[in-house]
Parts: sequence; C-alpha cells; structure tokens
Amino acid sequence: MSATTTAVSVVGAVAPVTRRVRAYFAPVDRVAGVPTVFDAAQMGTFALDAPPAPWMDLGWCSKFARKSETKVGTLTTGTPAVVQSQVRTQVEATVQLEFESWGKLQLALASGSQQMNLLQTTTGAAANGSGGLAAAAVPLVAGSTANAVSVGVTAAAQFQAGQLVAVDEDYVAQVGFVGSGVSAAYVSSPASVGNDINYIRRVSLNVGRVVGISSGVLELGAPLLAGVPGSGMQVSSLVGFVDREGGGFFQEWSGLFVMDGEQGDRVIYHYPRLQAMQSSAEMVEPLAAPLERVRLAGAFRALPVKDANDGETVLCFRSYLPGAMRAV
Amino acid sequence: MQSARDTFYVTLRDRLAALNPARTMVVRGVTRPGVLVEENELVSAYQPVNAFCLHWTGLTVDAQGALPLVTMVCQITYATDGDSGNGGMDRGRLLSAMDGELVAAVSAAPQNVPKVNYVAAAGGSGLAPVTMATNVFWGDAVFGAALVNGERLERVATVEVFSYQEAGEL
Repeated sequence: MSATTTAVSVVGAVAPVTRRVRAYFAPVDRVAGVPTVFDAAQMGTFALDAPPAPWMDLGWCSKFARKSETKVGTLTTGTPAVVQSQVRTQVEATVQLEFESWGKLQLALASGSQQMNLLQTTTGAAANGSGGLAAAAVPLVAGSTANAVSVGVTAAAQFQAGQLVAVDEDYVAQVGFVGSGVSAAYVSSPASVGNDINYIRRVSLNVGRVVGISSGVLELGAPLLAGVPGSGMQVSSLVGFVDREGGGFFQEWSGLFVMDGEQGDRVIYHYPRLQAMQSSAEMVEPLAAPLERVRLAGAFRALPVKDANDGETVLCFRSYLPGAMRAV
Repeated sequence: MQSARDTFYVTLRDRLAALNPARTMVVRGVTRPGVLVEENELVSAYQPVNAFCLHWTGLTVDAQGALPLVTMVCQITYATDGDSGNGGMDRGRLLSAMDGELVAAVSAAPQNVPKVNYVAAAGGSGLAPVTMATNVFWGDAVFGAALVNGERLERVATVEVFSYQEAGEL
C-alpha cells in the first residue's frame, strides 16, 4: 500500500527584502594558492552568529555593492555584419563595502597592504612611523589554548587586563609569506625586514585582548585566529594598529556575504579570492555637528578559481536559498 | 491585513512582557501585559499610563509584485506620571525605561515573525490560531519628542509594519 502525501500550496515568490549584509572572512593559503571554499549546499543555512569553521565573523557591513566588469563581445559575419554569437572577452568583478566595526581583521582587509601592530617599544627606541624597536617578547610555556595564553606566573606580571597582544613566531630569516593563521606579509629577504626578530608579530593577525590574568595565564576575549599557539611562539604587547599608503603586499582572503530575507530566504555571495584594490580609506557620516561616524571603506577585486563541477573559471558564486513553500 | 496587525501586536506584547513582567494593566477586570491596541478596546478618552497603546494609522499597498506588499504604520503612545511615592520626580526615568523596553522589543532580532490568523481563535472558540505562509516584518521604532502634559510625560513612537497579502486573505 503506497503512502499518500497531502498536497500543500505554494505562495508567490517575492523579491527578497533585506536589511543589511553580514560579512565573513576565511584565510587563503597563499603558499599553496588555495582559498577557503564555502559550499552553500552544505552550510548555507548557518546561523549568522555562528559561522561554520574556518569562517570568521566580520560583523555587519553597509553600502555593499558588487559590480561585474565582465565584458561580452560579439562575433559577427557578413555585410552588413550580423551578430552570430557572443563571447566573453574579459571576466572581472569587484566588491565595495563599508565595515561597521573597526577590528584587526577589518582593518587588515581594508588596508590593502600589510596591516601592522604597534608593538610596545623598548625604552628610548628611535621613532618610526610604523613603530620603533619593539620590546622583548615573552615566550609561551606549555598549556596554552586558543583562548588562554600561558606565559608563567613571573612573566604574567608584565601584563595587565585590557592589554592587546600579538602571539606569533620569531622572525628567523624566513623568506616568503609569514604570519600564523593568515599570511600577513611577504618577506623577500631577511635584510628587507632588518632581521627583526619581532617582524612576524609586527604584521601578525594573530592578536587578542587580555581580559583576565590567572596563575600565569593570559585569558583572551576571543580565540586567537590561528588557534592553539604553536611551540616557539612568543607574546608581544601592542598599543594599536597601523597601516600605510604604499607597500608591495596584497592581502588576499576568501569572502562571504550574507543577506537574510524577511521571508526566510537567504542570498549568499561567495568570493573565494578577494584582494584589496584600494589603499586605506574611510567614509565619514555626519551624525550631529561636530560628531561624525567614520566607517572603514573597502574595495576588492575578485580573483579566479576553478569550479570543480565543470572546470569553469569563475570569480564569485551567488546562492539563493528560497523561503519555505515559495514558488520557484 | 488584520492578521498582520494582530501578529505584530502579539509579538510586541510578548516581547515587552518578557522584558518587564511587572508592567501590567487591568482591562475590564483582567490583569494583562501593559500593551493594548486602542481600536480593540472600548472607546475611551482615558490615556493609560505606564502602558503602551498601539494605534494603526497609515496604510499603503504596492500591488506590483507576486503578492501585494502592505505597509502599515503603527503609532505607539505611552505616558507616565512618575511614581506617586516619589512625588512624580522619577517620571523622566520611568519614561526612559519605557523607551528602552520599546527599543529592545522592536529592534530585537529577528524583526520578522510568521503571520498568524487569530480570527478563528477569538472569542474563546477554543480553536488554535492558524500560522500563515508569509512573514510579517517591521523596521526600527522612530521616536517623537517627549511631550509635557501637566505632570505627565508622553511620547509617541512609530513603527512601519510590512506584510504580504496572501491569496484569499482579506
């Protein structure tokens, strides 16, 4: 005996109505040239506050505008010329947005080049635009986690709750991409960075804020981007962040932008590879004179990946998850 | 449209009651959360204090899409005389508390809920409300200036409420 299913009616599919865009970041393996791929078929319905690993929340953004720069040409024959077919002569796409939050990640992505940490300096260090000679870093001891950095009771006395710290490896003549979790810079030679033992911590995105100190452990407000610190890493205190106009490095990241519709639908834009296409910029929004709100402005160019399903070279994926019982 | 109004009211009432269970009022001998829809009650010139009073005012319909998009304006008035034990000197604080409760209730995510038809369930019929196919959604509250009316402080906030008119819905 076959089971019967009661037919239910569908409602008309209306244009999505959304309020704002949530942005997420995932690292690109710069050495291997491998981005983080988001599979909307498997992960598309995630809760906005709990993105699937390794995606990290960049918060809300505004003035999200994506633009296709793809050019379509024609093939014509005859006299008069008649269009016989079309070809894509150029594939290009860009994304612009304004971040609602000023965090290390947002600053780094929007800066377009290395985004450096203002490491605490040694006493009497010569002045330098991106920070003078850094104070000696503090080595980790066993037992650290992504949320808790263990430095030992004696060393912990150097830190205070509320301090910012960078946790990363020493620079010991590495050449190539450096930075734990995310490639934060490219070093062409040890001489180019003055053989600075703190250089990786100076550019690292593996930073956190100390929210408590207990038994030689620095409790952090959020997990470190690179996860559990590796052996050999050290901790440097920092006072803030700095980026520059100029520089030869391009940040690259995998981007995900989600618009939740009011009818339970969702639009997802996935750019596996994004590179900044402008230097540091801000947008100023007047509140009430003389107050102004300053948002980080980012503009990014999409780079290509191959779609494993058909080998096509593409720049971005737009997924649409319709609301329940909507006509399709 | 009535279902959208009822849904928004019930959502706002439940959220406000959860935020401040002590904010109650007595209407026709029944103690209930301090939120009412003016048009659903007996006509009265009395302005309840320490409670939120909803008035449905503006209405526009955009019939261009697959379903007509209905935009309704909900005007929410509230007032306080302050606490008599304090000589009314806390009326600013009490109005501020109501401001905060309304912000939290209206702006809390999600700002949409499934539309529910309460018509059959009204009047103690025992029938369950019917969840419909589309969502009601709304914007943030826009607050007017506080008005001084004798010893009373009053404010009007406005929320735009959106819904789709479903097939067969009146």
